[in-house]
Amino acid sequence: MFTKSTKTNTVHILLLEQLRDVESCLLYFESFMRAACTKETVHETLKSLAVNVSEAEAKADISLRKMIDSLQGHAYLPSTREDIISVATSCDKIANKCEAIANHVVYQRFNFPEQFAEDFLKIVAITHDQFEVLEKAITKLFTNFGELLKDHSILDEIRSFESMVDKIEHKLNEEVYALDIELAAKMQLAKYVESVCDISDTIENIADKMQIMLITRKA
Amino acid sequence: MIYLLLAAGLFMGWSLGSNDACTFGTAVATRVVRYRTTVIIIAIFVIIGAFTLGPNNIGKLAELATSNEVMASSDSVRSAIENGTVAELRFKSGLKAAIIFICAGLTVFGINFLKFPVSSNQAITGAIIGWGLFYADYSNPDVLSTNLPKIGAFVATWVLNPLSAGIVSFILVGTVGRFLEKRLSTLGSYDMIIKTGYIIAIVLGSFSIGINSSANVTALYFDYAYSETGIAANLLTSPVITAGIGGIAIALGVLTYSKKVMMTVGGNIANISQMDGFLVIIAMALTVVIMGNVLGIPVSNTQATVGAVLGAGLTRGAKQVNFGVLKSIGIAWVASPTIAGLLAYAVAFLTQGFFG
Repeated sequence: MFTKSTKTNTVHILLLEQLRDVESCLLYFESFMRAACTKETVHETLKSLAVNVSEAEAKADISLRKMIDSLQGHAYLPSTREDIISVATSCDKIANKCEAIANHVVYQRFNFPEQFAEDFLKIVAITHDQFEVLEKAITKLFTNFGELLKDHSILDEIRSFESMVDKIEHKLNEEVYALDIELAAKMQLAKYVESVCDISDTIENIADKMQIMLITRKA
Repeated sequence: MIYLLLAAGLFMGWSLGSNDACTFGTAVATRVVRYRTTVIIIAIFVIIGAFTLGPNNIGKLAELATSNEVMASSDSVRSAIENGTVAELRFKSGLKAAIIFICAGLTVFGINFLKFPVSSNQAITGAIIGWGLFYADYSNPDVLSTNLPKIGAFVATWVLNPLSAGIVSFILVGTVGRFLEKRLSTLGSYDMIIKTGYIIAIVLGSFSIGINSSANVTALYFDYAYSETGIAANLLTSPVITAGIGGIAIALGVLTYSKKVMMTVGGNIANISQMDGFLVIIAMALTVVIMGNVLGIPVSNTQATVGAVLGAGLTRGAKQVNFGVLKSIGIAWVASPTIAGLLAYAVAFLTQGFFG
């Protein structure tokens, strides 16, 4: 009965394109982290993997701008335009955070201690899974909005991933501060724990934004 | 010079327009429709409503005003013709109408100041009855039997109107609302439904305000006996012009002083969604148009809106309704005709030397 207009369809396509770019940035980041957690990885390899992350982030930036441009006009109500922009810019932050972590690891020539490698990689893998669910939820806004209005459980699923990350973060922090190393080194490591976990927090915040978006439109 | 007396009615219309525009506040406050677009649509359809169906609502109010000695009856016009005092009668009729509007206007202003939704229709009716209680001989069984059914009909609408709007809204939200909800496929389709729905609601709502409120604003200046006597014993003789002038006054109120009210309108009677918001306005408009045309009595848009909001809220269960607020509204509804009536009675007492 109510079919998509060309303008709203364009926004949908461009937003999905941006999400794909953010996801490819996350995938490059996963590869980067795998390498960074491996003792044998040489600095040049890490550097080139960080460049991949940066390039993917730049691509995601371009997609975001294209998507925002496509919102001009009257395809959506102003409040919807604001909500879409808010979700898209938050998604862009995911890529920004991946890039920032990769760059810092390269600048600091940082090596993740071997005993923490598994946990760091687990966090990154969970975050990737969490993002995939977020992608599905965002897609539903444009394909099955009515169902999403009635059933927010997909957003709860996103939050459950963040809880898993939280548990690992807590465990990691405890272990980091129990290490017999200098306080500055502990703080440096703890900062990486915080930064890597922060990506999952960002995804959770997007889910919260979507929930508000749905509640304000719920009949 | 005598037409200056119209100013009181026009001012009433202007303030009514600025107040009634709050019905469409949700559309503007949530930026579904721009303020400028909204007020232009309202102004156009208020005027169309006033000129087309507005005249139908003048009769009953004029009858009530005549039997309460506010407007001149055919007999008093005839005796004025015989005595050569038509000009005096005309001036007094216009002045009485202005007094009624001032009493009603002050009441509306006072209750609005206390932030209660108030019905100008109730205030005008109350003021007419207040005036009649002083001048019409209510101890006379003939006067009483003439007036009681008329007053009863008006009072009945104060209950029937919000009740009917509540029922219409309950049905509309429960059927059309749920039907539309099931057809929501995308965020874009949601926006389209909301935007189209609000524009339809604004058109219908404005039209209903034009039909109803225009009569409230100028009916007392209308010469009800003109068709029988052929002599103008009040300021206006054409029902179309009478309602039309009222419509224009309301439209001016909407165009010049409605932004604040529109922006501050709150949904504190019941929690309703954007989707229900436009259905509530449509329910209000349908009720007001149907009731106004069936009964020939101008009914209150404010009361219908409150009833419709309540009806929509009830589709989600009684918990969604703020009964505390409803109690305050109920008190305001009783207070509005009572205060206006007391004011009119007091003015009638003070001016008995002139009018008596």
